[in-house]
Amino acid sequence: MRQLWTIVGFDLRQRLRDKSILIFGIAVPLALMGVLNLLLGGFDESPELEPVTVAASVPADDPLAPTIVDVLTGLDVMDVTVKDMPADEVDDYVADGDAAVGITVDDGFAQTVSTGRQARVEIIEGDSSGLEADVVISVVQGTVDQLTAGVVATVAGSAEGLSPDELATVGRTAATPSDHIALIEGQASNEQLSTKGTLVAGQTGLFLLFTVGFGVLALLAEREQGTMARLQSMPMRRSTVVLAKSLTGFLLGVFATSFLLTVGSLLFGVDFGDVLAVAVLIVTAVAAATSLTFIVARVARTAEQANVMQSIVAVVLGMAGGAFFPIPATGLAATIIDVNPIAAFIRGLGITSGGGDLADLGTPLSIMVGFAVVCLLVSRVIPDRAATT
Amino acid sequence: MSAKTISNTRLDHPAAGAYVLEVQSLVRRFGDLTAVDDVSFRIAAGETYGLLGPNGAGKTTTISMVAGLISPDAGSVVVAGQTMDPKKVEVKGNIGLVPQDLAIYPDLTARENLRYFGRLQRIGRDALDRRIDEVLDLIGLSDRAGDLTKEYSGGMKRRLNIGIGLLHQPSLLILDEPTVGVDPQSRNAILESVEALSVEGMAVLYTTHYMEEAERLCDRIGIIDEGRIQAEGSRDHLVRLTGGVDHIRLSGSGDIEAAAQALRALPEIEQVDADRRMLMLTVHDAPTAVARVVTTATEAGVSLSDVEITRPDLESVFLHLTGKALRD
Ligand SMILES: Nc1ncnc2c1ncn2[C@@H]1O[C@H](COP(=O)(O)OP(=O)(O)OP(=O)(O)O)[C@@H](O)[C@H]1O
Ligand SMILES: [Mg+2]
Repeated sequence: MRQLWTIVGFDLRQRLRDKSILIFGIAVPLALMGVLNLLLGGFDESPELEPVTVAASVPADDPLAPTIVDVLTGLDVMDVTVKDMPADEVDDYVADGDAAVGITVDDGFAQTVSTGRQARVEIIEGDSSGLEADVVISVVQGTVDQLTAGVVATVAGSAEGLSPDELATVGRTAATPSDHIALIEGQASNEQLSTKGTLVAGQTGLFLLFTVGFGVLALLAEREQGTMARLQSMPMRRSTVVLAKSLTGFLLGVFATSFLLTVGSLLFGVDFGDVLAVAVLIVTAVAAATSLTFIVARVARTAEQANVMQSIVAVVLGMAGGAFFPIPATGLAATIIDVNPIAAFIRGLGITSGGGDLADLGTPLSIMVGFAVVCLLVSRVIPDRAATT
Repeated sequence: MSAKTISNTRLDHPAAGAYVLEVQSLVRRFGDLTAVDDVSFRIAAGETYGLLGPNGAGKTTTISMVAGLISPDAGSVVVAGQTMDPKKVEVKGNIGLVPQDLAIYPDLTARENLRYFGRLQRIGRDALDRRIDEVLDLIGLSDRAGDLTKEYSGGMKRRLNIGIGLLHQPSLLILDEPTVGVDPQSRNAILESVEALSVEGMAVLYTTHYMEEAERLCDRIGIIDEGRIQAEGSRDHLVRLTGGVDHIRLSGSGDIEAAAQALRALPEIEQVDADRRMLMLTVHDAPTAVARVVTTATEAGVSLSDVEITRPDLESVFLHLTGKALRD
């Protein structure tokens, strides 16, 4: 027992000394959070989008064209004021800076669309328009595309065509604005976390896999340095060395994860909620990640191999868990998320930040514990490739 | 045991029970290769035993079983009366291993390396500090103890490697080719410290493929090749087994013929060949005979200008036993 702690203390001191934990466990993930925050910033908090005015010339009697305007005014993410005007005034209105975007829809829009041809919708953007104009433009483009698709499908199904009202309904269904927005926000696996919260939780979860990996790397380094033979000739169990390395990885993981969540939440203004519940999530997630390193320790022969394996596992689990960007949970991705400790960790943080406490964490906690158990069992079955050397 | 094995167990060994290490019929295979094939030997306290053999002979594999790093496929290792096994924790406290490959942490100083391994050997804090100073002194690294070992020369690293094995004053010290790749000065320092150890009563198991080291250090030598001990005994015993004899060559001027006559009368001289300026004597043990030889020749009227002793060495013993050179 004393020897176990001697090794752990020694390894912890080594990791602090060579700064690897500070660089890869703390500095890099924090930097990545910052960079990703800048990249994702545009789509982040909806209140930050300013109200915007759109000049529109839409044929009032067309059965489909008004849908475009309806979609814009119905957007949740920002206030859009639509000024209706004749086609020849739109350009000037935008040029004067009175509107950020001008939209001109030709007469006979519905007619063109129903024949399957590309309908002409002219969009102009004002000189000083910002992000809001881009959102308007992409929404209009998306709506037009979907109207086209929806109408063509409907027309193909009915040789006689439909009444204008029915057509409009079909078009509207195809172009429900929430479709776009749902995709951007991608809140399939983390209902309560904001984009920034997902960012902090995701990067923390991703780098957790690297941090606990320092334990395995230290184990393999002992083999490569030749010190393993010496350790095994000493009066202690073989398992003491392995256990000590895992414990080191675990402690580093708990330290780095707690640090990242704390600093991340301060830097990005995220509140993860109940401290006790978050602490339990951290410990369980670190345990799950550490158990994975037992498999790596068995399979990898060299520290280099272990590094590569760990990176692959970390990126796959991290991505599937939504560490870089939230992905909609369908098909294979959903399955990976279901058994993924990183995803469970992020989901758990979503629950706590949404006001949940320990009692609400049953699902994510059991996923993580299940993952740990499976990893430990698997690692026992795999023959130790490096045992004879 | 193979028919080829020549042993003199009866001649040299002290009473049973006094052995620190008893290795009995060890076998270890790697796939189809039998790396260690029925190896037996024993080492008493204060005795230095050498395993002398070429690359791939099975020295490290034997040592790995003795140190409890790997399990034998057959046979047994008993250290200080207890059976060694990779799972046995307590027995391991009796051995100090100096692995063939350096086993030190490059980013630590010598003192830090010693302290870490010393604590894992369960040496108490005060005793450890004292012992570290002793060991540093013994391996001649006291004034460099605070430097990172990655800045050490090859020889200094080797010496530290040995020092770590000595820390806890084991009853059996195992050194696996401790002088490989070392400058002559460091090598001499290493050999001197090993000599000092056996004086302290430590049993030493020393592997090497340098026959000079085996000759200088080892009380008994096991010649190992292809996993088998081909012959075992003191250096002189091994040389005699192969029919080797010593020669003393005297050069000088004066009455060579009279000197030859007088020397033939000495009981330890087997044969004397003479020409006009030189006498070639065949003896059993040149070092003990040489003084009387010189006196006798001088008294017979020869003024000596040179005396040279040539002895058959382990190299020739190895050649005789295996039909190949020790080093290729
Ligand atoms: N882990 C292993 N797996 C497979 N073969 C091995 C293993 N260890 C040793 N061997 C083989 O066993 C034989 C004996 O090797 P060993 O290392 O014991 O020789 P040695 O006498 O120590 O040689 P050297 O002087 O080069 O250190 C060699 O043929 C070697 O290739
Ligand atoms: Mg060897």
